[in-house]
Amino acid sequence: MIDRKMQSVLSLKSKKAGAVATITLRQQLAYKTDFIMRSTFLLLILFVFVQLWSSAYEGDRTRIIDGYTLKQIIWYLVFTEAITMGVPSLCSLIENEVKNGDIAIRLIRPISYVGYHYAAYLAEAVFRFFIHLAVGSIIAWTFVGPPSFGWGWAGLFSLTLGAISIAFLLNMVVALCAFWVEETRGMEFVLHKLQFTVGGMLLPLDLMPEWLQRICSWLPFQAMLYFPARTAVNYGSASLLQQAAIQAGWIAVLAVCTVMMYRKGVAKLHVNGG
Amino acid sequence: MSTVALQTHGLSKSFAVKRKAAGLSGSLRSLWHPQWEEKVAVKRIDLKVDRGERVAFLGPNGAGKSTTIKMLTGILHPTSGEAEVLGLTPWRERTKLAFRIGAVFGQKSQLWYHLPPIDTFDLISRIYELKRSEYLARRADLIDRFELGPYLDIPVRKLSLGERMRCEIAVSFLHRPQLLFLDEPTIGLDVVVKQRIRELVLEANRVEGTTVFLTSHDAGDMEELCSRAVVIHHGGILLDAPVDRLKREVLSRKIISLTLSSSFEAGTLPDLPGTELMESEGRRLKLAVDLKQTGIESVVSALIGKFRLDDMTVEDPPMEEIITHIYGSGG
Repeated sequence: MIDRKMQSVLSLKSKKAGAVATITLRQQLAYKTDFIMRSTFLLLILFVFVQLWSSAYEGDRTRIIDGYTLKQIIWYLVFTEAITMGVPSLCSLIENEVKNGDIAIRLIRPISYVGYHYAAYLAEAVFRFFIHLAVGSIIAWTFVGPPSFGWGWAGLFSLTLGAISIAFLLNMVVALCAFWVEETRGMEFVLHKLQFTVGGMLLPLDLMPEWLQRICSWLPFQAMLYFPARTAVNYGSASLLQQAAIQAGWIAVLAVCTVMMYRKGVAKLHVNGG
Repeated sequence: MSTVALQTHGLSKSFAVKRKAAGLSGSLRSLWHPQWEEKVAVKRIDLKVDRGERVAFLGPNGAGKSTTIKMLTGILHPTSGEAEVLGLTPWRERTKLAFRIGAVFGQKSQLWYHLPPIDTFDLISRIYELKRSEYLARRADLIDRFELGPYLDIPVRKLSLGERMRCEIAVSFLHRPQLLFLDEPTIGLDVVVKQRIRELVLEANRVEGTTVFLTSHDAGDMEELCSRAVVIHHGGILLDAPVDRLKREVLSRKIISLTLSSSFEAGTLPDLPGTELMESEGRRLKLAVDLKQTGIESVVSALIGKFRLDDMTVEDPPMEEIITHIYGSGG
C-alpha cells in the first residue's frame, strides 16, 4: 500500500521533472546564434590545444606520456570541454532570479525549487554536451583520427550523468549564497577555475605532481571532468564501479548541503521589486 | 469548510538594508564598516478575507502590498505574526497551498519567452498534476473565455503586453485556484485591455467563486473589480471599507486632461461649480472635478462647447492623492 503510494508520488515527480526538461529543451532550440558562437569558440580552443599538445609530443603519435598518447589526450580534451561548455551558468541564473524578483514565479508553484532547476539544468547540459561533443569530434577526428575507445564510450556516458549532477550541486551550493549576499559571481569564478585545474579540464590529473593528485582525490572536482574523460580514453585504468560510487558519495554529500542551504536561505529570502 | 479564505494576525516583515555613502570612499568605508538599517515593509497587519470576496489591497509604491502578497503565498517568511490561507500556514506549507491558490505578478512573466503560450499551459498542467482530459477541457474553456485562440501558437516575445497578460491570467486559472492573488495585473495596459481583464476576473469570481485578492495603485481596478478595499501605507492598514463607501467619500474626484487646438488663455475656463484648474502649460491643461457638485457630462459638454479640442482624457486621481485624502479625512 505504502509502496504503491510512494510509486505514485515518484511517478508524479518524474512527470513534473520531465515536463520541465522538455520545455527547457524546446526553449534551447531558440538560441541558435548562441550555439553557433559557442561551437565556433570550441573549435578554436580545441585547435589551439591540438597545436600545443602536438608540440609537447613532438608530433609523435606513438609516444606515451604518463599513460596517454597524443590521440588520447586530444579526445580527453574534447570530452572535458564538451561537459564544461555543456553545463549552464546556474549562479547567474539564480542570482538574477533573486535580484529581479523572478524567484517569486518559481516559489508559487507546487514543485521543489531545487528540483525544478535540476531538471532544467540536466536537460540543457545533456543537450549541449552532445552538440559540443559532435563539434569537438570534428577537430579531434581530423587531427588525431577516429575515437576507437570501445567500452570507453559506455564509461563516458554513464559517468557523465553523475558528473553533470555533481556540477549542478556544486554550482547550486554557490548559487544559493545569492539568498544572503548580493553577488555570487566571484565565488562562481573561483569554482570554475578549480574545475579547470584540479578538476582535470585542461589536462588529465595523471600528468600532475603526485602530491597534487593526492589532494585532488579528496575533492569533488575530479568526479566532474576527470572521471568520465579518463574512463572514455583509458577504459579499465580505474574501476568504473568505484568511480560511480565516488560520484554517488559526492552527490549525497552535496545534496545534503544544498537542501540545508536552501532551507536556511529561503527563510531569509528578500525578494526585490516589491 | 471554513468560510474564511485568509486571515492574518500582527503579520510583519522587516528587511536589513545596507546603507552606503556616496562615492568611492563611501564604498570603501562600507567594506570595512558596513552599516545596516532595518526597513519595516509590513507592520502588524490584521486582516480577514472571506471566501468569494473581492478585496483590493491598495497603497502607493513601497507601501508593503507586494511583500504582504508574497508572505500570503508562502514566498517570504514573516518577521513576526501569523497568517492562515485556506487553512494552511503559507511559508510552512507552501507546496500544499500552491495547489489551491493562483498568482499573477503584473511585472513578472510566468510564460516562457521564446515559446508559444500553449507550451506554458502544458508545463503548468503537469506541475499542478492535472489529468490530461481534465486539462484539455479546462484549457479549451479558458481559450474560449479569454479569446486566446489567435495567440496560442505565437512565441510570447511576439505578443503585445495586453495579449500576454490575458495569457498570464488564463494560465493562473488553469488549476481552478480557490484564491487568486493579483499583484498589479493591469500595470502598463491600455484602457481597453484593462477593462477586458477586469471583466474576466469578475467572471471567474462569479462563475467559480474564486476569492480575489488584488493589489494595485490604479483606483479603477478597485472601483470596477472589488467590493472591499483595504488601504495600506507605510506598511500598516490605513483603511478597510466597502468600495461603495470609498467611491462616495473619496473617489468623487476625476481628473480631466485636455489638449486644446490653440494656446490656453487664463480666465477663459467655463465657470462650473466644483471644477478647479490644476495646471496649464501651452495648449495643455488639467482640471479636477468634484462629482458631488457637478456631473462629469456637464463639465465635458461645457468644455467641448468652449474650446476646440485635440485630445481629452478622464482619469481617477492617482493613488497617492487618494491616500492623502484618506489621511486628511482621518481614515
